[in-house]
Amino acid sequence: MKVLVLGAGNLLLSDEGFGVHVVRYLAQHYVFPEAIELYDAGTLGIMATHKLEEADVVYLVDVVLAEGAPGTVLRYDKEDFMLSRVPVKLSPHQAGVQEMLLVSELRGRCPSEIYLLGVIPVSIEPGVSLSPLLAQRVGEVADGLVTELRSRKGLSISSC
Amino acid sequence: MAARTITLDPVTRIEGHLRIDAEVDNGQVTRAWSSAQMWRGLEVILKGKQPQDAWVLAQRICGVCTTVHAIASIRSVESALKVAVPMNANYIRNLIMAQHSLQDHIVHFYHLSALDWVDVLSALKADPKKTAQLAQSLSDWSGNSEGEFKAVKEKLSSFAAGGKLGIFSSGYWGHPAMKLSPEVNLMAVSHYLKALDYQRKAAQVIAVVGGKNPHIQNLVVGGVATAINVDNLATLNMERLSLVRSLMEETREFVRQVYYPDLMAIAGAYKEWFKYGAGVTNYLAVPELPEDSANTQFSLPGGVITQGDLAKFRPITSHSDAFLVDNIQESVAHAWYDGGAPLHPWKGETKPAYTDFKPDGKYTWCKAARFAGQPMQVGPLAQMLTCYAAGNARVKRVVDEANDKLGIGLADYHSTMGRHLARGLRACVMADVSLEQLDRLIANIASGDQTYANPVEIPNGEFRGVGFHEAVRGSLSHWMVFKDKKIENYQAVVPTTWNASPRDEQGVMGPYEASLVGNPVADPENPLEVLRTVHSFDPCIACAVHAVDPAGREITRVKVV
Repeated sequence: MKVLVLGAGNLLLSDEGFGVHVVRYLAQHYVFPEAIELYDAGTLGIMATHKLEEADVVYLVDVVLAEGAPGTVLRYDKEDFMLSRVPVKLSPHQAGVQEMLLVSELRGRCPSEIYLLGVIPVSIEPGVSLSPLLAQRVGEVADGLVTELRSRKGLSISSC
Repeated sequence: MAARTITLDPVTRIEGHLRIDAEVDNGQVTRAWSSAQMWRGLEVILKGKQPQDAWVLAQRICGVCTTVHAIASIRSVESALKVAVPMNANYIRNLIMAQHSLQDHIVHFYHLSALDWVDVLSALKADPKKTAQLAQSLSDWSGNSEGEFKAVKEKLSSFAAGGKLGIFSSGYWGHPAMKLSPEVNLMAVSHYLKALDYQRKAAQVIAVVGGKNPHIQNLVVGGVATAINVDNLATLNMERLSLVRSLMEETREFVRQVYYPDLMAIAGAYKEWFKYGAGVTNYLAVPELPEDSANTQFSLPGGVITQGDLAKFRPITSHSDAFLVDNIQESVAHAWYDGGAPLHPWKGETKPAYTDFKPDGKYTWCKAARFAGQPMQVGPLAQMLTCYAAGNARVKRVVDEANDKLGIGLADYHSTMGRHLARGLRACVMADVSLEQLDRLIANIASGDQTYANPVEIPNGEFRGVGFHEAVRGSLSHWMVFKDKKIENYQAVVPTTWNASPRDEQGVMGPYEASLVGNPVADPENPLEVLRTVHSFDPCIACAVHAVDPAGREITRVKVV
């Protein structure tokens, strides 16, 4: 089983870079087995499809523009992506996660499990630092993810 | 019928937010406005940072055009300090540039724009056997079997039956402007799915050579930090260089046997699109793929063409050519910044002053880049035309061959389809030069050259430099002024600044805007034709906010006033 932890986001737009900060935190605080890959995808979009396809289990870490208090962490799974009402779009192929997954499924290579850990941002203004609230969430989300990964069979993760 | 204005927001498929307003009268566009809806902010972030570190942040401007900003940024420091770049480093950088171009062109053609021309639902009606016969008549690629097409059709049918074609079905299927046969549509959809494997191979090459993908790790001022030792397992060795070669050969095969024939089939079926979308026919391309250490000799020449007339070609001889460096200015007359007369980027200011969308006033975050006071179109079309005008044999060969096949001439390139064609031809060129650069790198190492960088310390004092790069989407420049090891001013004039630029002081439109005027629009509620022309530029507003939107809200609005 191969696990991909994909951090998405733009490091130049403060909280937008949350996913990348989480991946960096994981790399600094833990030693992962070969079966787990950390991937800093930046804002790669459809060009990251192959990374998803190489894994059986994918955790996406990103910000989400959802209703709720900033700092709230929301969790979505594959069902949410696949069955949620498809957005009405002018462009038939604006490349979001849902598109990537559907294209992968058409190719017969969609990962069997996929989760999105999404946090509601405080600010996405230009800047290289996270807001204090989201800076605090980085460790919480990362440590929570490690706990979850450790509960899976055969994955041993040590702290460094 | 009175003129109506349609607003498309956003129209980009990848990075950032681009809004297009088009006034439609009597079935065609009469006026248009291009508006970047996000402020980049990079210039402000980089102030006070160390010049040698800027490239690391610069490649985060955009998730798709990562390497190009890294290259332009590092070159701006090298230009300021007049550092010579060793040939090994240039070959490695050239390889990265060429492979990144390939990856991006493949994705643009298949995943970001082909569906403006290809009708997925029509593919459900195709006969797989006839599709195979058609595809095999176009090329002898091994993936064109009847079985392949049958499998794709079955998969599509099962998705359609389950209502899962959502990503495709809200598009323009059945639009009167769609005119490929079911078989060509099935062939294109099948290749759309396959193309992902080949963009991945290019990404793999970048990861091996550049340390990581999408953000390369191996640049230093004065060269590259790539450890190469043909015999050492811990470095870029012969085995990994062989892997790079075979990946590049496979991608070249795909470009020659799949992308190129598909492009010919689509261009041939939509020949009327060689008539629309010319817009600004001044072209700018900087020379690229240096063949010496001082950026004065290049594999692909650059220059300026004015008014679509190749006889008016003026070459740009180097990245320090005063004709290039001195003639660039940016206007903020219609952009959301404070400021007066147009400024040279070294003197450029970034003082945001948002006013809301005012078609006669300020209406975009994009400044208006101008060359000697004129708007310029940049991108693969500009590069292919300037290389052709400069007499570059490699480019002449591919352009002439395509013209023979399609029965078109150079004048037809000033168009929406001309931009797609030029991009495909550039992909052919990039696939070839990638292998050439690898051969040169290996030969240079074999000759005993072990230098990969001429490291420099950033001295005290004031310096200014500019890094040019003929990037995937066109001419890119990063302008840096630094004093006592700290950045005082940083301005990036990106390809999209040229193409998406708003009107200037004189009210002269930018390339997107001008290209839309005269564009047909059969149905203002479904302005597919406007998208075709804007997408042909490969728009990328480099500043993405791409937050996932779980509510499934309407992502792009078409508003008809």
